[in-house]
Order: sequence, then C-alpha cells, then structure tokens
Amino acid sequence: MAQAKIPVDLILEKLAQSTEETQKRVSRASDILLSPLNTEAAVTPFEIVYAEDRIKLKHYSRSETAENKLKTPLLVIYALINRETMLDLQPDRSVVQTFLKSGIDLYMMDWGYPTRKDRYVSIDDHVNGYINNTVDFIREKSGISKINLMGICVGGSMCTMYSALHPDKIKNLITTVTPSSFDTDKGLLHVWMKNLDVDKMINAFGNIPGDLMNFGFLLLNPARLMIDKYVGFTEFMDNKDFVENFMRMERWIFDSPDVPGETFRQLIEDCYKRNLLIQSKMYLDGKRVDLKKLTMPLLNFYGKFDHLVPPEACEQLTSAVGSKDVEDVCIETGHIGIYVSSKAQKQFAPKIVRWLKDRDEEESPRQKVQTKRKSAVKLQKPFVESKAPEQQNIQANPLAKTDIKTGRQKVNRSRSLLIQKITEAI
Amino acid sequence: MPEDNKKKEPDFLFPSWLKASFDMWSKAAQTMPAFEEDGQKFKAETSNRFIEQWQKNINLMKSFSKTMSEPESTAAAINAINTLPEIILKMAKSGWDAGFKTQSHILEKAGNIGRRAEAYNFDNLDQEVFKALTDIYEKELRQYFYIPQMGLTRFYQERINEMLDKKNLFETTLAEFLSIIYLPIEKSFKVFQEKLQDMAQKGELPKEAKDNYAIWVKILEGHYMSLFKSDEYTDALHNTLERMEDFVVAKNEALRDILQFLPIPTTKEMDELYREFYLLKKRVKELEKKVKPV
Repeated sequence: MAQAKIPVDLILEKLAQSTEETQKRVSRASDILLSPLNTEAAVTPFEIVYAEDRIKLKHYSRSETAENKLKTPLLVIYALINRETMLDLQPDRSVVQTFLKSGIDLYMMDWGYPTRKDRYVSIDDHVNGYINNTVDFIREKSGISKINLMGICVGGSMCTMYSALHPDKIKNLITTVTPSSFDTDKGLLHVWMKNLDVDKMINAFGNIPGDLMNFGFLLLNPARLMIDKYVGFTEFMDNKDFVENFMRMERWIFDSPDVPGETFRQLIEDCYKRNLLIQSKMYLDGKRVDLKKLTMPLLNFYGKFDHLVPPEACEQLTSAVGSKDVEDVCIETGHIGIYVSSKAQKQFAPKIVRWLKDRDEEESPRQKVQTKRKSAVKLQKPFVESKAPEQQNIQANPLAKTDIKTGRQKVNRSRSLLIQKITEAI
Repeated sequence: MPEDNKKKEPDFLFPSWLKASFDMWSKAAQTMPAFEEDGQKFKAETSNRFIEQWQKNINLMKSFSKTMSEPESTAAAINAINTLPEIILKMAKSGWDAGFKTQSHILEKAGNIGRRAEAYNFDNLDQEVFKALTDIYEKELRQYFYIPQMGLTRFYQERINEMLDKKNLFETTLAEFLSIIYLPIEKSFKVFQEKLQDMAQKGELPKEAKDNYAIWVKILEGHYMSLFKSDEYTDALHNTLERMEDFVVAKNEALRDILQFLPIPTTKEMDELYREFYLLKKRVKELEKKVKPV
C-alpha cells in the first residue's frame, strides 16, 4: 500500500496558530471572569401569593399591552427534581416572558427545598394537598371554577393524577416531557430504576439527595456532560454573554433540591417498577387514579432525543385518557432543550399560547370534537450539524482568509450550537 | 552452681529479708501520729480517709511480714520459691504454644489470600483484580471485624467495627465501579488511534486539534452508551449504590453513639418526631376541611 502524504507542515502551522489564539483567548477570558458577571436566573418579577409548608406560589404580572388576554389563569407545576427557574433562565430564553407577553395570567409552583422533616410527604400530599390547595386558591382569587394546568416532567405526572382526580377544577391540561408509561427500556433511567432497592435508599438517606441524583444524571452521558461541555466552554470563554449564559445554566443544573423520601418511594415502586399510572391502577389516598376521568383537552409535548423521559414513556398518555380533544407534539430536541434551546423557544411556548387561546372562550371541554387528534406534530427539523457552503470552503482551505461577517456568523453559530448541544445532552 | 548452694541461698536470704521487711513497716508505722503499739487500732485525732487507708495498708504489710517470719511459713515460702522457675517455664511454654498457633493460623489465612488470588484470571486484569480484592476481603479479612466483643462497651465497639467493615466493602465496590467507568476512556483512545492511522493512510488526517477532539469525544460517547446498556454496568452501579447505603446506615449508627454524649438529637429521634408532626398535621388539615363547610 502506498504511504499517503501527511501534511505535517500544515498541521504544525495550524497548531502554532491555535496556540497563539488560545493564549489570547485565555487572556481575554481572565478579564471577563474577574469582572462582575450577571449570572442571575429567573429575574422576571413575581409576587408570592400563597405559601404552605415549604411550597410557595409565584404570581407573575402579565403584559398589560398584550392582545387577547387569556381569561383563564395558567398554573405551572414543575418537577420535584431541579427548579422551576429553568423556565425563566435568561431574558431571551424565557418561557415565562413569552407567556406574559402573550397575555397569560401565570402562576408557578415553587416546591422549595425539602428538608428532613419532609421525608414522609407522599405523592398524595403533593397532588391532593399542595396542588389542590393552590388550585383552589387561584380559583377563589380569580372567581372562576376551572383553571389551566401545565406540568413539567414528574410535575406533569402529578398534574395528570390531579386532573384525573379533580376534573371539575381543570379546564385544559398541558403535559411536557411527562412520563406516564414507565415500562420502557429506551431510557437508561427507566432501566436503572427497575432494580433499585428504594427502601434501603430511603433508610440510608431519608430524602434522596439532589447531588446524588445529579451524579446519576451526569452518568447518563459523561462524555458530553462531564467533558465536552467544559471543553466547549473554553472555546468561547472570552465572550461575556456566553460566559454569563453558561454560568446560569450551570447554576440551574446543580441547584437540585432533595426529593422527599416517601414521594421517591412511591414514584419508584408504583410508577417505575409497577407502571400503575398508565393502567389507571394507581391509588392516592385510597382513591384510584382513573385516566378515563381525565376529560379536559390535553396537549402533550415530548422530546424526540430525550434520554431521561424518552418518547415511549410519554406518547401513550393521549390514548389512555378519557378526553377526546388530545394532541401529541414531538419536538426534535432533548429533555431541557424543549424549554431553553433557541429553536424550541420559537415553537414550544407560542404553540401553548395558541392552543390555550383557541380553548379560552369555551366554557366546557370541546364536545364537538369527536375524533382524537393523535398526530405527533414535528415542530423542528432534526438537529444536524450541516455546514453552510462558505463554511465548507473554510474547512477545505483552513488558512484562507474569511471576511469578518462570515467569521462572526460562524462564531455565533458555534456558540449557539454549544448551548444547543448542552441542552440536548441533558 | 552446686546443688547445695542452690537450696542454701534462699534459706539464708529469705529470713533476713523478712526481718528487714518487718522492721521497715514497723518504723514506717511509727512515723504516723498517735499510733498504738499493738497496731490494731488507730486513734483518729486527725482522722481522714487517706490516713485510715494508709494505716490499714501498714497493718496489713506488718502482719504479713510477721506471719511469714514464722519458721513454718518461711519453709513453705522457700519451697514455693524453689519451684517458681518451673512454673514460669510451664506458663511461658503454654503461652508460646498459643502464640505460635495463632501465628500459624494467620499464616494459613495469608496463604488462603494467595490461593484465592490465583483462582482469578489476571489476563483480564482490570475486571478480575477488583473481584479478587472484594472476594479476599469478604472471605479472609472481614470476619475480624465480627469477633464477638465483650464488656460494657461491646455494643459501641460492634457498631464501630461494622462501620469500618461497611466502609471497606463500599471502597472495594467503588473501586470496581470506577474502573468500569474508566474503561470507555481507555478503549476510545485505542479506537481513536486506529481511526487516525486509517485516516492518515487515506490522507484525510484532521488538521485542527479540535477536529481530532470531536472524533475522539464521539467515539467515547459511543463506548459509554454501549457500556451503560450492559448488565455488568447496571449490576456494578446497583452494587455500589447498595454498599454506599450500607455504609451510610452503619456510619449513622456509630455516630448516634457519639451524639448521645452531646446535647444533640439524633436523626432517628428527629425522624420519629417528624413522623408524629406529619401525621398530626394531616389530621388537623382533614379536620379543618370537615369543619369549613359548617
């Protein structure tokens, strides 16, 4: 076989160039990292209107200039893992601000940080206690009989349970990346949870430590989440906006409250191991959660590349409920990307606003809709790292000079790709 | 030394020593104030606990010296002294035997460790070495932590031993788990090298370092995905988690003993209290709901 010629001179030249660039970048980055940085998340103003035990209910002021303000308030229930600040991570990636600008009267549950005294708090206490009390509070405050409910991840599972148990209080239900059918081998989490000795775990820890769960999540994709993410950071650390956004995301990821022991036990035993929810066999406080009693309109979002809650765990819900107005929406992104990726920002929250507005005038669930709309709507093209023609030229001739505009576009695109990669890897 | 001298020496020395001893204790007793000559009673002019105890000891030593200076007792004591070396030799012999047996037992155990290690195939060093380590610890070493403890502090010592045992078990399992987690990194470098070689032959070698990195990280991700789907990994993960939980429980049990000496409530006590609070709150809320409509 003929020995191929290796362009050693070119490689060395690129290496020297790269070293010089790195030196300059590190110098600029040190200036940025030493200067004051704005890494605060969830800066949209809100008011605490209700509090009970560790939980707080946030109420946001909607835009007074918004057209077609929704009459029905929306209550958002976040998961018990990580915090609801993710929906308002940064001004240009804020589901909260999109809702407010669109005229939604928005309430959001802040589950707080469970302490050892919360270890006996069960799913029933969350669903029939805290959620029910906040729903009643909003109903009373707004003077209406039904409100809109939106759940995120396990928060969505609890909203599903609540809506099946109290259909008279919920007008429309939106579930996002919500596990309802747990009997799947597609997500690693589902595989790992099946053999977990949950009693032993609770005996040892009381509540399940947030750091332990975070470590588990990091192990789902260590190459991306423990290596590539930080390598990517070094590439753009001389950009202040990028550093601030990266730090916001980093703070959010590791801001993990513990999960109350009893709630975790029930989640693992009844859901992950016995898959009772989707079969309408789950019981809360002695009452069966019958999904056929969930009769309000249902909008069900899930991420195609979600490895925490894979599509297989989400897509059966619309078939199992009693409602005839249901819609599945599959977005081609990951578990967190659905809320924070720039592309999903344009698709996810606006779709919810439209869907709610369509149903805001009606006093009762749509009786006229006879057939279920069970179509997975793809809102986003598959994420492919295809290169623009000019970039291909750059690749072919790396030393060729590029005009400033093209270079800047490339850098901006790379930055956005990194955030995209991070959000999809989660 | 001649046989006669051996016997005569104690005969000569012992009565003299007894006499000197008796004289010494008598003089010592006389140094104390208000001492009666018969030595049986003490006039407690300045009586206190220390002086009383001192006097009792003096009297005891004096009466012992007196008794021993009698001819019959002296002869018996001399006989006893003559047989002393023999007794000491016997005691030493049995002590040595016991020590030797214990040492043999330990050596036998050490031999077992070697035999157990041989049973593993160290061609696949990464995986086998941790299994061997765990096996050796479980079968040859951990029983030392479970030797029955005695006395007042036995339960405390048992809990400390259990904590140490669980810690060792957790550490050996964790080492195995970490070695498994490291496998994809090792393999990815190998595959990456092969890929580079292949690309070099085709003249497609990446010119930028970050392109090389992108290739490597993609390979690494692939290896991790394959690993995470394997039963071996799932078993190792659960095993490590369970051993960690065992250690946490044992550590809490041992710490509880320490906390009991301090004015700090233990987790167990607080959990009991929290449970009572939880149930009471629940009852109050239910009652509130029942009362509200009225």
